[in-house]
Amino acid sequence: MARILVADDASFMRQMIREIVEAQGHEVVGEASDGDEVVEEFKRLHPDVVTMDIVMPRRSGIDAVKSIIELDRKARIVMCSALGQESLVKEALAAGARDFIVKPFKPDAVIATLAKVVEKPE
Amino acid sequence: MDLAKYRAIFVEEAAENFAEMGRALLALEKNPSCADSIDTVFRMAHSVKGMAASLDYTHVTELAHRLEDRMHAIRDRGRVSPGDEIALLFKGLEALEAMVETVKNGGDPSAGDAALLAALRASAQPEVAPAESGGTAPSASPQPSRAAAGAPGPGSSVRVQAGVLDRFLSTVGEVILCTSQVRTAAAGSREDGGHFEAGLDRMERVVGELQRRALDLRTTPILRIVEPLPRAAREIARRAGKQVEVEIAGSELELDRSILDRLSDPLVHLVRNAVDHGIEMPSVREGQGKPLAGRIAIDARREKGHVTIEVRDDGAGIDLEKLRARAVEQGIVHADLAADLTPAQTAALVFHAGLSTAAQVTEVSGRGVGMDAVRATVEALGGEVEIETQRGRGTATRLRVPITAAVQRVLLVEVGGETLALPIAKVERILELPAAAIERSGADAFALIDDELVPVLDLAARLRLGGSGLEAAQALVLTEVRGERVALCAARVLGQQQIYVKPVPELLAGVRALAGFTILGDGRPVFLLDPNQVA
Repeated sequence: MARILVADDASFMRQMIREIVEAQGHEVVGEASDGDEVVEEFKRLHPDVVTMDIVMPRRSGIDAVKSIIELDRKARIVMCSALGQESLVKEALAAGARDFIVKPFKPDAVIATLAKVVEKPE
Repeated sequence: MDLAKYRAIFVEEAAENFAEMGRALLALEKNPSCADSIDTVFRMAHSVKGMAASLDYTHVTELAHRLEDRMHAIRDRGRVSPGDEIALLFKGLEALEAMVETVKNGGDPSAGDAALLAALRASAQPEVAPAESGGTAPSASPQPSRAAAGAPGPGSSVRVQAGVLDRFLSTVGEVILCTSQVRTAAAGSREDGGHFEAGLDRMERVVGELQRRALDLRTTPILRIVEPLPRAAREIARRAGKQVEVEIAGSELELDRSILDRLSDPLVHLVRNAVDHGIEMPSVREGQGKPLAGRIAIDARREKGHVTIEVRDDGAGIDLEKLRARAVEQGIVHADLAADLTPAQTAALVFHAGLSTAAQVTEVSGRGVGMDAVRATVEALGGEVEIETQRGRGTATRLRVPITAAVQRVLLVEVGGETLALPIAKVERILELPAAAIERSGADAFALIDDELVPVLDLAARLRLGGSGLEAAQALVLTEVRGERVALCAARVLGQQQIYVKPVPELLAGVRALAGFTILGDGRPVFLLDPNQVA
């Protein structure tokens, strides 16, 4: 079971991720609705995994990844991307994100990606 | 996945996105290179696209996607083109709004206007390059002023006085009571072929929905009561010459305000206990290889209709042998029974009034509200407390409380000629059984249930409702009181009902067995019993 921080500016998406991961016994320890908040919440909550939307107000998901990786090189971040954001996903992975899931979310894919990221050592 | 739920969230959230989009477009009309506004419209279109795609609204997705692409192009070129482009964006927004309106009314939007889609795409490439040098200087553009737009911002909130909200909720409760009164009155006349009943069913559903929404209004983040705890802990520790660090998690979870308010004192007490009796002096901790500063973790978690708040310290833990000895000494447990208590049962003794193992009564805890008050408060809210302790490792106390309190499903029983309500959540099952099945042994009564001797509680006698009810008993309500099965004896079971629980009138506030009261469909007042306090 992992402690997850969910970052997305749409509460719709946050709720959807919450429902998917909680059904698998994971725990959503916090939610953030912009790029500044997710960095603050990361500092406060030390989650096992962060799911990170790319397009967010104040600070983009990619900039938030950079800030979090600066705080904790081992942070596990999964990007939430939409079709057509391939280059942004690449940028996020280069910045230290571990993996990505694609909207609209398919529960099985989300779970499998999270499991992969959680189980991977270090 | 509950599609209806997400559809409702989509409609609501999209409406907020559109409002923000509209404001940003107005700002762009005045200042075509306002970078923030361009970014806002882009993000809003993107957000609507994501939601629509999740719900398979392909045409909404397509239109939002076109709009997003267009905004992308505008962002790259740094400004909205002079001429028709801003009008086109407004048209896109209007079309999206119309589509979501269709969703709101239960429909599936049809394909967007082909000409509009084409127009949005056609000029995704800049037709007019920014001619003037330095034309792309978005940083210099003024912020769109929300105040000037005259509308509240996205996810806007309204402050409401608590009293107003409570009166509103109370009125919703009255509507529920009225509904059940109408149902009772209608039961006599059945000549309209069920139309009336069907109407009532619908009305009950709607009222139920209204009530759920109304109750949501009253939820408040736990943060409000846990925020002051770290400072309180530090202060108590300072006076005791100890060091402590407090960590908080899950404080964003929300609880009914009335529940939250009553949890504040118990939480302060638990933190005090943790600092006072849990966390050791720095020198002791050093000797044990622990960090000098003790750690207290306050952790809130949500599970179904409940929230569990845990206060955990890494201190000395409770000395169970000492606790056991004190309990025997004070006559709380018989010496013979005390020896058989499991560690968990022994730890639970701390919830007994007047039991403390603190060698000396300190200034801050060890007197006044004790753990018994913590338990009484939590149980009165329909919750449970639990304690877990490990010598040398620390203690964790968990308070589990319902998220909303005002509405409960209850079992109505008749006892000594009175109707009483029992929270259904506490009822394991109901046994119809002849009075002869109850065995007596002196003042106590037992019944053999599932090959287990379960104590029978004579409600009529306990509540002094005209002598023993054991003779007249036709039903036993099997319930659990602090982990033990107990059978409550009732003359008969009248049925289940959803009730709006009103607080016990002040005059009766001292009667702990009463958890609240309600007015039934026929106008009779009925008390809600707290089984924990009758046992």
